[in-house]
Amino acid sequence: MTTRTHGTMLGRREDLGRYAIFLVLVGIYLAGLAASSAFGDPKYLFNMVRQVTPVGIAAIGVTLVMILGGVDLSIGAVISLTSVLCASLMAGDAANLHSAILLTLAAGLVIGAMNGALIAFSRVSPFILTLGMGVAIVGLTQIYSGGTAKGIVSPGFREFFNHRMGGSVPVLTLAFFVLLGLGLLIEKCTVFGRQVFLIGSNRSAALLSGLPIRAVTMATYSLSGLFGAFAGIALLARSGVSSTSAGQGLEFQVLAAVVLGGTTFEGGRGGITGTLAGVLILVIAFNLVNIGGLPYHMQLVVMGTIIILASALHGWLSRTSS
Amino acid sequence: MPVLEVSNLSKRYSGVAALSDVSLSATAGEIHAIVGANGAGKSTLMNLISGTVSPSSGSISLDGKNVRFANPQAAQSMGIATVYQEFSLVPQLSVARNVFLGREPRNRFGLIDPARLMADTRALLSKYKIELDPAAEVESLSVAQQQMVEIARALTYASRVLILDEPTAVLSLREQENLFSIMRRLRDDNLLILFVSHRLEEILNIADRITVFRDGRKIETLAAAGSSISEIVNRMTGRERALPKQPAPVQENAESYTIEYKSSGDPQTIRIRCGEIVGIAGLVGAGRTGFARSLAGLSGRNGAVRIERDGKTLSLKSPRQAMREGVVYLTEDRKRDGIFSGLDLVANATAAALPDLAQGGIRNRRAERDRAASMLERLHLVAASLSLPISKLSGGNQQKVVMARALLTHPKLLICDEPTRGVDVGGKAEIHDILRGLAAQGTAVLVISSEIEELLSLSHRILTMRDRRFVAEMPARQTSEKDILMAASGAAPAKETS
Repeated sequence: MTTRTHGTMLGRREDLGRYAIFLVLVGIYLAGLAASSAFGDPKYLFNMVRQVTPVGIAAIGVTLVMILGGVDLSIGAVISLTSVLCASLMAGDAANLHSAILLTLAAGLVIGAMNGALIAFSRVSPFILTLGMGVAIVGLTQIYSGGTAKGIVSPGFREFFNHRMGGSVPVLTLAFFVLLGLGLLIEKCTVFGRQVFLIGSNRSAALLSGLPIRAVTMATYSLSGLFGAFAGIALLARSGVSSTSAGQGLEFQVLAAVVLGGTTFEGGRGGITGTLAGVLILVIAFNLVNIGGLPYHMQLVVMGTIIILASALHGWLSRTSS
Repeated sequence: MPVLEVSNLSKRYSGVAALSDVSLSATAGEIHAIVGANGAGKSTLMNLISGTVSPSSGSISLDGKNVRFANPQAAQSMGIATVYQEFSLVPQLSVARNVFLGREPRNRFGLIDPARLMADTRALLSKYKIELDPAAEVESLSVAQQQMVEIARALTYASRVLILDEPTAVLSLREQENLFSIMRRLRDDNLLILFVSHRLEEILNIADRITVFRDGRKIETLAAAGSSISEIVNRMTGRERALPKQPAPVQENAESYTIEYKSSGDPQTIRIRCGEIVGIAGLVGAGRTGFARSLAGLSGRNGAVRIERDGKTLSLKSPRQAMREGVVYLTEDRKRDGIFSGLDLVANATAAALPDLAQGGIRNRRAERDRAASMLERLHLVAASLSLPISKLSGGNQQKVVMARALLTHPKLLICDEPTRGVDVGGKAEIHDILRGLAAQGTAVLVISSEIEELLSLSHRILTMRDRRFVAEMPARQTSEKDILMAASGAAPAKETS
């Protein structure tokens, strides 16, 4: 093949499009630094990441689902359910710790697999199906818990995750990075990850190319459920108390992070690296309005505006570079 | 006086020159053909003139006045109409709505006036003798009919220049003839018609002047009268054209496939031996693609198929199963189910062979890249980089990538549906060579093509379809274009194959 390489020029321009989101991230971080010197303190930064860990973990699985061309609106409900489930399985006893975590992860996986199977074998749109599933799971969570906080975490559970290694890096933050690495491994290094991109890019072409569309669909939603369960456990570790509505509305933060990161609803493009940037932009925005001392509801308005601006800037940067 | 004058026009994409320093002038009342190999810059030039992309340098003038189009609408409002290679129709809307999209006749409340819309469309279609139902939904139409809708839409605002980018690639013979008469009529109305095509015969037949492009540069403008195909090809390729090759003889004792196809009427049986190239001819709508798709495991409304390889029945319930049995289908509609548009060439080429290139589900990027590169090299693909998204390639190069994908699965029975549509002369010969090479190595190859000349030079045998049935079987060496056309159109009392 006649490969003409027009190295640097081509490389640089394409990279600009791909990394536009990171420019946005750097921009908003610098804005934070200007607003408060706290943004220069590693301890504060790690704490910030710890704060966003549940959303970040859930966003890993949802990114894969959206690359596939689907969406998972049940993720918030899954986080709530698994967080309550984990707490009550622990029942305040250290002996239950490992079994509780494993059972919780299994529950997330099963819910994800149900989403996946229903989407793969019926023609219901993922949007409606996962929305319905989410509503049903919220109901189940309420019935299971009797509508109030239920269960007590095992002793040692919170202490472990909130321990700061070397005095500054919380284990929970570290766990987030480990799961992020796992997600990246799945996305970039496995046949499955590549097939997710192919199916999301053109389902008909994937079908003709002999790709196992149903199996990949089920596996992707299962992963989303599994990461949802990890997120539920992370939420429990962060707050220490199980609340039946802990994950309520989190699906929107997750979606905002994923879309900000450059993964689109059309599928076939994006990735977990971008999602990480999206998650960080969200949490910096949140902390900025917090530092600004705005009343809570005003904070929401400003945060929404920041999301829109960041997204517009991202779109503009990717357009001008291509 | 030239209606269109292009001076020193250049366009660079990411530093790669798609068009370099092109000057060209064309007059009203002429059919001006633009020819060149894939990637020669034809489509880029058309995109510049139609305002789809803006030039890196140089200028375009219309009626002696310098113009700079901010977008395609600006060019349209100046009377430059374009029929694109890729369809830009809204599939869910009717023919009439598509023809007048954005310029629908309004009633006094400012709403679309459906009665006038229908009447206007009907008048336009009958003026140009285009046989289409204005009320039909575009998605229910064949690819050829959709192309005619596209042309009808352009006719509604073509007042100075009509740009046709490979308009005949998907048309049946009758529609082609009709398009040519429309083009002649518009020429007589003093329009300039810019016409991009790979079919040199039709260009010599219809064009007044021909401009040849190669590697983004204009080579020469010739008068069509007095030019020959070989002259043009030599300028396009910069080298002499080789003689057509013959397919290798089929081994006497080769294994064979027996295919029983039932779609309309009684089931019919056809056979193809390993190492054999069988052409399938027929007019658009004869059911060739339906047959091919059902072989590929997409049965349903395409009809039922049963296939045996040396007496052993193969199960083809899905493309995945078909592929496992070595039966691979190469689509005629790249955009719909051929390319993964946002993904790079490696991802596109290796899509079907990923598990073979991996170990325990973990990808081996190096193996993917090497295999894709060597296969694309075999197909003589020219691209700036393997990391380019496939959508940046020309149609012919996209076809090569999709073909590489099929070949990387090591097909035993390869079904190629219009494998050279939109591919230039050089690329066509290369694809033919590849198919002959595959057959020589024992692959059974079914080729569907609307270009009978292609089937005649490529295949051992030619089957002709009409109304979803096989109506004739002829050895390629002892038949002519005319025989096949007669069988395909039902003009001759064709003998059905058993």
